Amino acid sequence: MAVIEVSHLNKVFRIPHEKRNTLFKAVTEFFTPVPFEIFHALKDISLSVEEGEMLGIIGVNGSGKSTLLKILARILVPTSGSVLIKKRVTPFLELGVGFNTDFTAAENIKIYGIIMGLSPKEIEEKSDYILEFAGLTRFRDTKLRNFSSGMHVRLAFSTAIQTNPQILLLDEVLAVGDIEFQKKCLDTLWAFKNEGVTMVYVSHDLDSVKKFCDRTLLLHKGEQVMVGDPREVVTRYQGHDAT
Amino acid sequence: MCIQLIKERYNYRHLIWILAWVEFRQRYKNSVLGYFWSLLEPLLMLGVLYIVFSNLMKIQVEYYQLFLLLGIIMWSFFSRSTTLSLLSIRFKPNLIKKVYFPRDIMVISTCTTTFLMSLFESVVFVIFMALFQIPLSINIAYLPCIIFLFYILTLGVSLTLASLNVYYQDMQYIWALILQIGFFATPVIYPLSVFPPYLMKVLSYNPLAQIIFLAREVTLYSKAPDVASFVYVFFVAFVMLGIGYAIFNRLEPKFAEEL
Repeated sequence: MAVIEVSHLNKVFRIPHEKRNTLFKAVTEFFTPVPFEIFHALKDISLSVEEGEMLGIIGVNGSGKSTLLKILARILVPTSGSVLIKKRVTPFLELGVGFNTDFTAAENIKIYGIIMGLSPKEIEEKSDYILEFAGLTRFRDTKLRNFSSGMHVRLAFSTAIQTNPQILLLDEVLAVGDIEFQKKCLDTLWAFKNEGVTMVYVSHDLDSVKKFCDRTLLLHKGEQVMVGDPREVVTRYQGHDAT
Repeated sequence: MCIQLIKERYNYRHLIWILAWVEFRQRYKNSVLGYFWSLLEPLLMLGVLYIVFSNLMKIQVEYYQLFLLLGIIMWSFFSRSTTLSLLSIRFKPNLIKKVYFPRDIMVISTCTTTFLMSLFESVVFVIFMALFQIPLSINIAYLPCIIFLFYILTLGVSLTLASLNVYYQDMQYIWALILQIGFFATPVIYPLSVFPPYLMKVLSYNPLAQIIFLAREVTLYSKAPDVASFVYVFFVAFVMLGIGYAIFNRLEPKFAEEL
């Protein structure tokens, strides 16, 4: 069963040359149109992702990977075309959204957990485990402002993975923490994969794409160049790079 | 559609609550007096206004201290909610651009924060009520209803302002000006009857005037709420909420691109 179905998706950004962001200007310059640039971020993308599948998305900077991911997460609205998603989506676009440095680790687990869709009861049950997984049990009541950036990310990741995702959107989040923690992260993702979680994975790390993904999509300047076996797609991408 | 909306927002109640709680706690964390600051603020304002208006202006109102305090608490709920809501979307780009949940949650939680603050301030009011031995009647049972309508009205205005402020950054300055005028066009420190009849008629269309009037009637003067004003407030509140959601939903899809 396909859980994500994207058909003929287009995303166009209008970038005005001059930003008119006051009511005063909007009224006084009502009749003088602002010139704008059109940026076609995604052109006619069609694909579907099966349940339990892991789809990789690769491409150079500015090829529309993150835009596609944000549309799947409902953060951006498509200009045309349709996106059909049949399960609950958990976006990991950035870890630790809503973290507040004036609050303690335990409190932040609560805040972030709820933003990510956990119930207060689940958080209470899992709070100790989250701290243990992050290796931060000692710092339970320390304010987040005293944390290093690595501790920050570990806490965020440990909380985020507790959300029982059905569809997971990942944007380069693995590029954090030390080797030991990275290994933990990869183990978790493997576990998710084995549990049948559908994943969409945007990355520049081609090795991990080859290793994890069932299929891979190559984007170039918003166009869908190729979808298929990760090895072939990566080879194509690397060939592109060379030319 | 309405029921659907309420049901959906009910599912997000934990999120609304935690965001409100975070904001509430953050507001007081830096002040030495902490939570008591929020009690001191209305008391100070009450003291100043009371001295000026009962001694110098000689306003003749029964239980004037309480009349004034209730007015101040209610007015500051409105002005704080709308002012903070203005910034609720603009100042949290991370929550808009990196995760998804219905965006009006952010406005609802801001209004809830200010509601908590007002509730906290109401402690002072209750103490005063007891001190002055104000007789209570069964009509106080209408108060929750009036407060609910007040919240609905405030939320409607807040949604409108929050979404407009994403596009027009001078909204906050314009609104500050409107609030300043509004303070005097609303009977916070005096009853509407101080105005000449023609002005009184115009100002009585101000829904805030009616809400504050109703709240005073049922709590201080043991009266049943005036049916005409109650019906008027009821309609204005829900129409405003409708307008608020209409504007908000229209502008919402582009929030992530604008910020």
